[in-house]
Amino acid sequence: MTTNLLAIINSSAPYNRNLGKESLDVALIFASFEQGVSLFFQGDGVYQLIDQQNPQKISAKDYLKTFSAFEFYDIEDIYICQESLTVRNLSESFHIDNVQVLPPETFAKHLAMHQQILRF
Amino acid sequence: MSILHLIRSSAFHRSDFEQCLSIAQSNDTIIFCDDGCYNLSHPLTTNLLAQENKLTIKVLQDHAQARAIIAPQTIEGITMEDLVSLTFTHDKVITWQ
Amino acid sequence: MDKLAVLITTPPYSNLTVTAIDYIEAALRLNVNIVGVFFYQDGALHANSNIHIASDEYQAVAKLTQLHQEFGLALHLCITAAEKRGIACDALSEGSAININPIFTVSGLGELVSLTTNSTRLVQF
Repeated sequence: MTTNLLAIINSSAPYNRNLGKESLDVALIFASFEQGVSLFFQGDGVYQLIDQQNPQKISAKDYLKTFSAFEFYDIEDIYICQESLTVRNLSESFHIDNVQVLPPETFAKHLAMHQQILRF
Repeated sequence: MSILHLIRSSAFHRSDFEQCLSIAQSNDTIIFCDDGCYNLSHPLTTNLLAQENKLTIKVLQDHAQARAIIAPQTIEGITMEDLVSLTFTHDKVITWQ
Repeated sequence: MDKLAVLITTPPYSNLTVTAIDYIEAALRLNVNIVGVFFYQDGALHANSNIHIASDEYQAVAKLTQLHQEFGLALHLCITAAEKRGIACDALSEGSAININPIFTVSGLGELVSLTTNSTRLVQF
């Protein structure tokens, strides 16, 4: 059971557009104002979590490495849609720890616990 | 607890509506607006209407009419004022765009 | 008391923005208390006074100006998103001519936190 104010659904792959970074900025600011924030990764958003990425190959800023600071920011509720992984033939090998892979029903249940929801 | 889902993109082009459906609960309401109106004739909607569940679908009347879309009688056409009211009769809003 | 915060992420030349503004107008007609509108991502482009939209197209900024003046609608601009999109708001903007539309309040994402905590509903467009 979470009492976090905000849930953010990340649904975009990390590089074509800037949505992942813009979402991260929102998450970090809520956390630094001590407003609880939970992160949900669904659809192509799961690509933000995949291990062994090399953004420097395409001159993209490695904003994903900031994910390792989530613990420092007390962002501890991180949920990944299992179905989105399965459909994309992805293993549960992520570049951060302490994430929870959830089937859609549980994913939805956790999401519904928040007062406000943004999606990027 | 109920969620108002704003669907703003066509499921023929993007997977937002499909992702919404994977988490929508039976007492939620789905609103088609903007290009989301094209979902009125998408198989996802047809399948949803064929099911026995309490998930409600509505469409912004002006947005459908702008696109030469005629909503089936089972789907209520609403105004922007209706949408504002629905915002407050549901616990929260998720925008799928 | 119902309190609404609105997040706009789409540019002034998008029909998606017409929906956002129509929604805000409908809320005002229904006497909903709008605690503020926050412009983020491409929504920040609304504050760029160098953007000119042909006069036979929808004038998002003119509409926002009217709502700002008539209802005191608070329009908050994410300055980081704005600077990335060519908006200069103060003398520190490295030689660029100031081109921020003065109806907008220069804010940071912290203002989005405050709008979120001060509202009962947050609606993203």
